[in-house]
This record gives sequence, C-alpha cells and structure tokens, in this order.
Amino acid sequence: MLTKRQNLLETIRGGNPDRFVNQYEAFDCSPSSPFGMLMGDPISAASAMPAPGGAPAKDAWGVTRAWPANVPGAFPVHDEAHKVLKDIAKWEKIVKAPTLDYPQSEWDKYKPKIAEVDKNEVFVTLFGAPGIFEQIHYLMGMDDSLIAFYEEPEAMKELINYVTEWKLGYAKLLCDNFAPEVIFQHDDWGSHRSSFLSPDMFEEFFLEPYKKWYGYYKGRGVQLVVHHNDAYSANLVPFMIEMKMDIWQGCVSTNNVPELIKKYGSKISFMGDIDNGLVDRGDWNQELVAKHVRRACEENGKHYFIPCITQGGKGAVFDGVYDAITVEIEKMSKEMF
Amino acid sequence: MAKIDEVKEQVIIGKTKIVPGLVQEALNEGSAAKDILQAMIDGMKIVGDRFSAGEIYVPEMLIAAKAMSKGVEVLKPMLSAEASTSLGTCIIGTVEGDLHDIGKNLVNMMIGSAGFDMVDLGVDQAPNKFIEAIKNNKNVKLVACSALLTTTLPALKKTVDAIKETGLSGFKIIVGGAPVTQKFADEIGADGYAPDAGAAAEKAKSIIAA
Repeated sequence: MLTKRQNLLETIRGGNPDRFVNQYEAFDCSPSSPFGMLMGDPISAASAMPAPGGAPAKDAWGVTRAWPANVPGAFPVHDEAHKVLKDIAKWEKIVKAPTLDYPQSEWDKYKPKIAEVDKNEVFVTLFGAPGIFEQIHYLMGMDDSLIAFYEEPEAMKELINYVTEWKLGYAKLLCDNFAPEVIFQHDDWGSHRSSFLSPDMFEEFFLEPYKKWYGYYKGRGVQLVVHHNDAYSANLVPFMIEMKMDIWQGCVSTNNVPELIKKYGSKISFMGDIDNGLVDRGDWNQELVAKHVRRACEENGKHYFIPCITQGGKGAVFDGVYDAITVEIEKMSKEMF
Repeated sequence: MAKIDEVKEQVIIGKTKIVPGLVQEALNEGSAAKDILQAMIDGMKIVGDRFSAGEIYVPEMLIAAKAMSKGVEVLKPMLSAEASTSLGTCIIGTVEGDLHDIGKNLVNMMIGSAGFDMVDLGVDQAPNKFIEAIKNNKNVKLVACSALLTTTLPALKKTVDAIKETGLSGFKIIVGGAPVTQKFADEIGADGYAPDAGAAAEKAKSIIAA
C-alpha cells in the first residue's frame, strides 16, 4: 500500500495510485494546528485574527476582520470607518506592509512542529492566506478594487507589486526556516458562477506576480503548490498552469471538473468537486453525501483528481460532514480500485 | 448618432468621465431628462444581460453602474422637477450572520440602475432591521434579501417569515445568493428569486408589475 504522499504523487502524475487520495489526508501534517496544516510563524503571530464567534480584530496590515459564529472563515470589514485604503492614488502613503524583521530565536520557536511531521507519510505543508488578489481587496473593499482595475490601472499594478514583493520576502523566510514541501495558498478568484476578472484582466494584473511568487517557491525546493480557490475559474486554468500551480483545490462543480481533467489533467490536478453548498448543510445525511461523492469519483476518475470538500481546509461547517465524505471516498476506493 | 444614444453606448462600456458631459450635451440637444435616464436604464439592462450570459465580468458591470450614476448626478436637478420616474423603493441587505457583500452590492447597483430608489442596509442584518426599513421608508415596493452560506439559509427563511408575520403589504420579497435556488425561494415563501445581478434587475421590474 502506498503512503499518503506516494499515492498523491501517483495520482497527480498519472501513475498508479492504489486508492483515491482522501481529501486533505496527504497535507494533514500537524494534528494540533487548524486544518491540520502548519501555520505558525513570527509574522502571522503578530497579526491579530478574530476567533470564530468572537470580536473583530485588526490584522498587521490594518484590515479589520470579523468572524461570525458558524461561518467558515473571517471576513474583512469594509464600512467607511474600517476600510484601510479609500483612494488608490494614495496607496504609498497609506499602505504599510507588516515587518518581516524578527530575530532568529522567534523563528526557532516554530521549528519543533516541523520536526514532528511524519515525512514518510505526509507532506510538510504550510498554510497561507490571504493571496495577492485577496490582500488587495481586503485593503480596499471589493467594489473599489474592481473599479480601480479600470480607473487606476498603474496604481493598482504598483500596489500589487508592493504586496508581491512583501510576499516574496515572507516566502524566503518560510523556506529558510521551515523547508516546506507543499504550499497551500488561499486566494479566491471568483463567485461560484464566474471569475471576478476577465481572463485578459487577470493575465494583465496577476499572472506575472503569481509566476514570481510560485516560481520562487519551486526554485527553493517546494514540491507542490496547492492553491485554494472555491470559485468558478475554469477560464483561468491556463494561467494556473503557467504560474506553476500543481493542484487547484476548491474547484466547485460549476467548473465542470471532468472536462477540465480531460483538457488539462496532465498539466494540473483538481481537488474538490464536492461542493460545500451541496453537502455541508444543516439537513445533511449520509445518503446525500454518498450521492455527491459517488458522482465526483465516477465522473472524474482516478488520475489528476482528488475528491474533496471544496472549502479551503480540513473540516466542514456542520459537524460530521467532513468525516462522512471521508467514509464515502473510502467506499469508492474499494469499488473503483 | 444622437447624443442620447451616445449616452447609452458610453454607459454600457463604462466611460465614467465621458458620460456626464454627454448627458449635458443630450440635454442641450433638447432631450428630456427622463428620456436620458431611460436610455441609461436601457443601457444597464444590456450590461445585466451580458453579465448573465458570461460575456462581461464584475468590473465591467461596476464601471458601467458608476458611469450611469455620474450621469444621473447631472440629471438630478431636472428629475426632481419632473414627474417621478422611480419604480419605487427597494430595501436590500444581507441576512443576519452573513458578511458577504459583493453579490448584494452588485444586485443593489443593478436594481438601482433599473429605476428603483435603493435603501442598502448592509450586511449581517437581523429581520427587525428589514422590518424597520420597510416601515420607515416611503413607497417600498421591493425587499431583496441575500445569503451566501448554507449556514445562513435559515436566517433567510427567518427574515422572510418575520416580514410576512408583520402583515405589512404593498411590496414583494426577492431572495438570492449562491446556495439559494428557486425551489428554496418557493419553500420559504419568497415572491421571487434571481440567480445573478443582471437577472435580479429584470426580476425586480417584472415582479412589481405582476
């Protein structure tokens, strides 16, 4: 029997997997961490995050985020009192990236968790959020940022470059200190019906920054870049390939994942196609979950596909849903392998 | 091409800096303010249809709506002197426990662009906030409630139930958001459902005319 990491590599390389990769199992490397992935470092520790159901908190970029109970994640607050950047033309004066300058002793505190990872079985996986696009609209609000792509494109490119350079500096420190094998990076690029940006606009503003960022990780020995984006983005897959993304996690069913696998499977793999919206509901039951898991496994097949809940980390909003999916994938493995 | 037609064309392609001047030129040419407004509304319908068809994306819709609002600013002094062109007031908000605002904001702009006066309550709004807004605003014809999470679908039902239980009348309730379907809208007693912002504007107009 292959280890979880071997089985994942066989799956995404079109080799001989002996079962379906079961959701996040190959990245589930740190049982005590949220989502089972490594996420502690001095930089993130200095950035306040609200607790689920707790009071809003201001992060190190100055973005206030709220996390109401029973929702999957924290949201930036963009009323007039809380929006960080109200005029893109003034971004240089207003936006101040958090410091990357911490003593080595601060980094060393987080290394024991890395050493505990069973590297025979799972990947040393670092969780990252937000991405470049999200960082921009966290600062500005979605409406203002999307309009600014038209009205102030040069200023937007400058701000994107500023954020990207900061992320490259952060990436260097992560690689220097943790030698990650997998980067699991969040950046949502659309709604469930369409990408926020047209492919042309996405290419103009985000392809090169992402090529630099993900290319840097690859150059530092990161084996896999896994990108979470639980949205429609089938029209952006060629760019995902170009930026060296290995696995698109969160591909919701509106993307027609079976068609994407046929078209791009040897160049990128797809992890998801079990939509939270369909199974992670108050009225869920095992039969409902079984139906959606079966469809996903049968339609997508054994190669270049990892059946998974579409949310960006191990777990679900409603108790029992994630484990129910795991059970059904195990059943499908026995049936199809 | 008449200036009024140019106004419509430039709204469609989101020329925020050009539209106000063109509106003024159309007025100078003798077009009535309400006709220029209607031309912009017609332009936004085309924008909504293109968005629903996947031909354009959110920034294109936002910039078109902004171009229209710039044009409306020029028309405002004249519109207030003419007979009302409003289709009525629409109360819009995202339901309690849900902080998503992108879809709600798009629907807000598109329904506003269709000729409604919008009252945007914002996100995370309890049922009583919708009810207060219905009571405190004149000529409310439409209430639009948004939810983007499976966890907040019950709040959508709670909001619709609470509004109906008040016995207030004279308006219709439409619902939307990623996990919402026509079936769910029917189950919770909403009067209408739209799958996207472009369709929402059309639904808003048709439902109040029904």
